[in-house]
Amino acid sequence: MRKKTLFRGSIAVSTAAILAAGVLGTPARAADPVTITIWTFGDVIQRQLVQEYKNLHPEITLQIKKSDLDPLNGTNMVTACTSKTGPDIVAVEVQYSGYWRSYPKCFTDLRKMKTSEANVAAGIPAGKTALDFKKNYLPWRWEQGVGYDDSVIGFPTDVGGLEVAYRIDLFKKAGLPTERGAVGKLWPTWDKFIATGVKYNSKLSAADKKAGKGFIDNAGTLYAAIMNQGTEKYYKNDGTDTGKLIYDTNPQVKKAWDTTIKATEAGIGTRIGQYTSDWNIGMNKGTFATILAPAWMMDYIKQQAPDTAGKWDIADLPGGGGNQGGTQLTVPSYAQHSQEAYDFITWYLAPEQQLKVFKTYGLFPAASVLYNDPALLDYKDPFFNNAPVGKIYAEGVSKVKPIFEGKLQRAIDQAIGAGLGRVAAKKMTAVKSWAQVIVDIKKVINN
Amino acid sequence: MSHLKVKEGRRKAPLSPWKSANPKKAAKSKKPIEGVASLDHRFGIPFIAPFFVIFLIFGLAPVLYSIYISFYKWDPLGGSTFNGVQNFVTLWSDSDFWLAIRNTFSIWALSTFPQMAMAIGLAVILRSKRLRGASFWRTIFLVPNITSVIAITIVFGQLFGRDFGIINGILGLFGVDNIDFIEGVVPSHIQIAAMITWRWIGYNTLIFLASMLAIPDELYESASVDGATKWQQFIYVTLPQLKNTITFVLVVGTIGGLQVFAEPQQLAADGGSSKQFLTLTLFLYNQAFVNNKYGYAAAIGIAITVIVLIISTINFLITRRISNDGSGR
Repeated sequence: MRKKTLFRGSIAVSTAAILAAGVLGTPARAADPVTITIWTFGDVIQRQLVQEYKNLHPEITLQIKKSDLDPLNGTNMVTACTSKTGPDIVAVEVQYSGYWRSYPKCFTDLRKMKTSEANVAAGIPAGKTALDFKKNYLPWRWEQGVGYDDSVIGFPTDVGGLEVAYRIDLFKKAGLPTERGAVGKLWPTWDKFIATGVKYNSKLSAADKKAGKGFIDNAGTLYAAIMNQGTEKYYKNDGTDTGKLIYDTNPQVKKAWDTTIKATEAGIGTRIGQYTSDWNIGMNKGTFATILAPAWMMDYIKQQAPDTAGKWDIADLPGGGGNQGGTQLTVPSYAQHSQEAYDFITWYLAPEQQLKVFKTYGLFPAASVLYNDPALLDYKDPFFNNAPVGKIYAEGVSKVKPIFEGKLQRAIDQAIGAGLGRVAAKKMTAVKSWAQVIVDIKKVINN
Repeated sequence: MSHLKVKEGRRKAPLSPWKSANPKKAAKSKKPIEGVASLDHRFGIPFIAPFFVIFLIFGLAPVLYSIYISFYKWDPLGGSTFNGVQNFVTLWSDSDFWLAIRNTFSIWALSTFPQMAMAIGLAVILRSKRLRGASFWRTIFLVPNITSVIAITIVFGQLFGRDFGIINGILGLFGVDNIDFIEGVVPSHIQIAAMITWRWIGYNTLIFLASMLAIPDELYESASVDGATKWQQFIYVTLPQLKNTITFVLVVGTIGGLQVFAEPQQLAADGGSSKQFLTLTLFLYNQAFVNNKYGYAAAIGIAITVIVLIISTINFLITRRISNDGSGR
């Protein structure tokens, strides 16, 4: 009985203490509670780091809304910018950066923002604008977050990079070298890559061929890889905001198209579409021996084919460095808490945090100051036969040159992708399909 | 395909509940009807107002607005310019539009007619007195209808997979080469039609079942006295009695068929590499929300409305003819 009273008493006391602390504490409190809304997709915002930020700033709630990429960067952002209401931070994927760079009015110019005192303790000095952070990042990735009026609309999170993930066991079976240096030497050029594929396929048994096995998951993936190795895609930077359309004259487009068609017609791909159920199954069954893999795909492979651990390795991409994917974190012009959002971004995308992201999810940091950091260079991934993935991707992305993206880049990419699909499915000849591509692109531009 | 319209009975006019509730009082009063009418007048409008207000804001206003923007080159971020009937001219000469019409009607036909035949067949089974646990089966038939389209697409994507799909696996046992369902025109339509059929067949089965249960037993009894087999009873008794229900299912199916969107969109957002399963609504959606051509998309919307009007007229004429035909043959 007595014990119970004591217990009750202690509750009363502690309640009073809390109340008193609350009342007395009010004037001294550092900041009012703020909720930052973040629109994102996939693994761009990491849960552990969000928790870490919560510990740093108990007054800030990070409300994260994930959606699929296309509605997010398409419809949702257009609606938000038109109605001037929406989140405080949006993740913009690079496929959309060409489009959003042409609408800087939808974003807060981060050159005009200054970091507050909030994260000084965490190593982010106060009073810094976006331009003060620019030197930390890969120059061409930084450009993807710069509007056509030179305003800074976003900070780069990760960089895709692009290398070849290959199956050691399958290469061995086909009599190909298995050591990653030797494998990289098999294909200094894309033509050699295709030749290796033909050789691999010739070693397949009749039963394997009938089961649809092949060298690479999808030959169509060569197109984007080759395109991103150039200096121009569909637009020429002629000094104007919009650039000049050169999709039908740029030799790089022709080269990428022709090489992809060549690979398709050589039959090195299995024609399985990426991110389909067949792809996931094929990854487990060894239906294909190679995938052109951006850094963020490593985690996908681990998730989908855990039993193939140790059977994979990473070799250099033919034709030099490559890239596929990557994201910018932006602060929309209509953000209600732009200061808190900017403080969060500068903390979240600081090299220290991005190194953690790489080690847990394989998203390769765009923070290029890390590329000399032993913590990144010495990082080896056991799933990929202890390949020094940090070093391999760092070397790859350093070779990539900036590309002037235009407003309709994604639409043009899709029209060409469909064209390659028609050829792969043997629905059209390459010549006819290209003619159709031109018609489709013109429709997007003109109608 | 959203809801069933319950047909009013054969009453000529709805009875006033006040009249029937207190006939004596109504008889005593000098002007009984006027009082009720004036109340109708006073309270009627506020009672129906919520619907009309919501309809005006969310129904009529967007319709009028899309008619307005269909005469513009309209980009919500990039501004807009008036360009007269240019959107409609472009639409008429846009091969994608005609392709979308072809695909829409092909998918509609493939999903409506086999489904109707199967639904009638299933309804016959459900009606059978020998079936055990009838209510269990009737309930479970509605489950596909409340399943999300996304989930259905994922599962059917696996069934119809080119290399590892079950359907190709079974066909392979008979020596048929793997079919690339997504790339082919007819195969992709079959895949989409299969999803629609799976989702709606239970619903239509129950509608057929309800109308079969309303067929008087005497008809079957006299048919069997005349020596009709089960099959003949089905052909000469059941089917003719289902005429109105078949028309109803057809009408609702047509409206739904013109709105097919989520299934092809989930299969491939652009409607396939040769646009082989680009439907009208997917075409509209892509123009508006992928290419940001809101004016052009509004013009497509108006074109769809015109198509629906034409089909509704045909439906109306057919329905009228059937009901003028009398009840049976």
